[in-house]
Amino acid sequence: MAKFPYGLTADDLLKMYRLILFGRRYGESVDRWYKAGRLPQLPYISMGQEAVGVGACYGLRADDWVLPSLRTNEAYWTRGVTVLEQFHGMMGNAHSITGGRETSNHAAYPDRGILVGTGLIASQIPVAVGAAIALKRKGKGDVIVCFFGDGGSNRGDFHEALNLASMLKAPVVFVCENNGYGFTAPASEVVTAKDVADRAMSYAMPGKTVDGQDVLAVYGAAQEAVKRARQGEGPTLLECKTHRYLPHCPSVEEERPPEVLHKMRQRDPLVILGDRLQREGLLSQATIQSMEQEIRQELEDSLEQAEHGPIPEPAEVFHNLYCEPTTAMGL
Amino acid sequence: MRVLAGNQILREALAQEMERDQRVWLLGEDIGVLGGIYKVTEGLLQRFGRDRVTDMPISESGFVGMAAGAAMLGLRPVVELMFADLFPVCMDQIVNTAAKTRFVTNGLLHVPMVIRTPTISNVTAYQSQTFEAWLAHVPGLKVVMPSKPQDLGGLLLASIRDPDPVIFLENRFVYDMMGEVPDVIEPIPLGQARICREGTDVTLVAWGANMVQMAEQVADQAAEDGVSVEVIDPRTLVPFDLRAIVQSVCKTGRLVVLHEAVRRCGFGAEIVASIADSEAFSKLRAPMIRVANPGVPVPFSRALHKYALPAAEDLMAAIYRVMKRVMPKAMPKTTVKQQVELVASRPSGYLRR
Ligand SMILES: Cc1ncc(C[n+]2csc(CCOP(=O)(O)OP(=O)(O)O)c2C)c(N)n1
Ligand SMILES: [Mg+2]
Repeated sequence: MAKFPYGLTADDLLKMYRLILFGRRYGESVDRWYKAGRLPQLPYISMGQEAVGVGACYGLRADDWVLPSLRTNEAYWTRGVTVLEQFHGMMGNAHSITGGRETSNHAAYPDRGILVGTGLIASQIPVAVGAAIALKRKGKGDVIVCFFGDGGSNRGDFHEALNLASMLKAPVVFVCENNGYGFTAPASEVVTAKDVADRAMSYAMPGKTVDGQDVLAVYGAAQEAVKRARQGEGPTLLECKTHRYLPHCPSVEEERPPEVLHKMRQRDPLVILGDRLQREGLLSQATIQSMEQEIRQELEDSLEQAEHGPIPEPAEVFHNLYCEPTTAMGL
Repeated sequence: MRVLAGNQILREALAQEMERDQRVWLLGEDIGVLGGIYKVTEGLLQRFGRDRVTDMPISESGFVGMAAGAAMLGLRPVVELMFADLFPVCMDQIVNTAAKTRFVTNGLLHVPMVIRTPTISNVTAYQSQTFEAWLAHVPGLKVVMPSKPQDLGGLLLASIRDPDPVIFLENRFVYDMMGEVPDVIEPIPLGQARICREGTDVTLVAWGANMVQMAEQVADQAAEDGVSVEVIDPRTLVPFDLRAIVQSVCKTGRLVVLHEAVRRCGFGAEIVASIADSEAFSKLRAPMIRVANPGVPVPFSRALHKYALPAAEDLMAAIYRVMKRVMPKAMPKTTVKQQVELVASRPSGYLRR
């Protein structure tokens, strides 16, 4: 029986593989369905960077929290959110966890430890630090993992949050999904640090760069950071170098040259883990086929169900802004 | 009952709530060792320790966002912003995070936090701004602006216990005003105006400790000339006690609104528009008037202040205008101005101009 790093079992690896595969097929499907007019919500697709969300969230405990970026779709799948729930969100249905109030990529699922970000890049990073302080007060060793992009690492809130987290020894793991671009801005031009992880040095915390295409490398580094946070030793900045295969979003045209796009795909997270599992004799073609089949079925059934989901009652908009109805504000 | 200064009353309320509720967490710049620039939190670090009274670096956006995150997971942060002019620095976290979380999560998460801050009022362009209209404009925020020392404690307790984000604006003149406080402070529900002076001829709505004081003094002066002014301090702008204003205007038929913030798109405009839209409209006997900053930054030179800040004589002129009476030349100018300057000369703490 093969030995796997970090005490992972074959079952864990297969689960990770399935999550990455799920992320890949989800990305392809929503790209197609958005363009075909079947999904009203503009999706931010994570194809190419699935291993980051999976690897960083996989080992977390039920009472831990994650705060996804707009692109960490895998955080949702790894924390047990179903694609049906997210499709209800993308349709703006009454069955959406937000009741149709917000898009699926800014949806909180507190029962599964998913905290909400805002639509503003990097503004979620201080929020994660505050959540970490609340967890620290509870004293159970719970942690939060906060995701953001290379672009986000240029914002003041990123820097303020890292400084605060270090000062307060907050149990938080900062995970930078460095996919090389913020919208169309290349990180090689606008991120002046050689590596985003270098920025940790200014805030007296460990900064580590890992291969974000290798889910086991992400998992190992994240677990080390999580352990540090649980033990009260404070935050870590973990930079995962990854690739965004598609444009920023489907309404934006691809601006990168074909050879760049081609080269990215040479280090594919699904292939890297798949090859390893096949070498170990753990993943047969038949297993892959049945996973593919299940996933396609779930995606299609969920879309169809969400397409027929109930729409929210218009008057709902006056509730859950304040603890009182909005009409009680007097003006 | 005790008689205490405004900043002591706020401190009493904070300490009382911190004893009662372990989740309350005070954070802000220089609130621990220094006790805040107006000494509101003096002694609380020694009493409650660093975990509950935490000095912050100069990172307003960072620590306001952090407080919002802590509130989402169960703490009750009370942030002190060093002064109100810092709102623009942290407005993203206030508007996009704190204000919207309950809405976008459909009530699964909420943000029970308070941001309290002195509005310094009459010093310089960067230390005098009153942003209540800007804040009240944001769905999801509550905005409290206490003006009487005896209201400070009760409104602060209600704000801390409120499950929503509350902006608590402390006009700095209130720190030195003396007020009665019960031994155990009780919360004052948000959304209830205070009638400061009853009257029958003119409804005068004002907020901010210095403005309410000026309103009362002008009302007293006007009374000597037989004009009966009803002074109303709304105390909270969101929620707003519109009914109290409507009832008063139905009685008087005249409305003057006084505020220190810029008139254009100020909260006075909202009140005037809401009255125009209410049953009080048909009772009006004169145009409604706003007395406010005419739309200029507050200059440093005192000689320029009277053009930027609403003055007692402007208010008096407005009252005579809605009364359609000629203002007696000899009457208010000097007396009122002297009284108001008396208030303005007393502030203690960090800025003593
Ligand atoms: C503060 C802010 N500025 C601009 C935008 C518009 N915007 C949305 S995503 C994005 C790029 C983000 O890049 P990065 O942080 O690298 O994340 P990625 O999209 O690559 O995952 C921009 C500019 C925004 N949402 N928030
Ligand atoms: Mg990026």
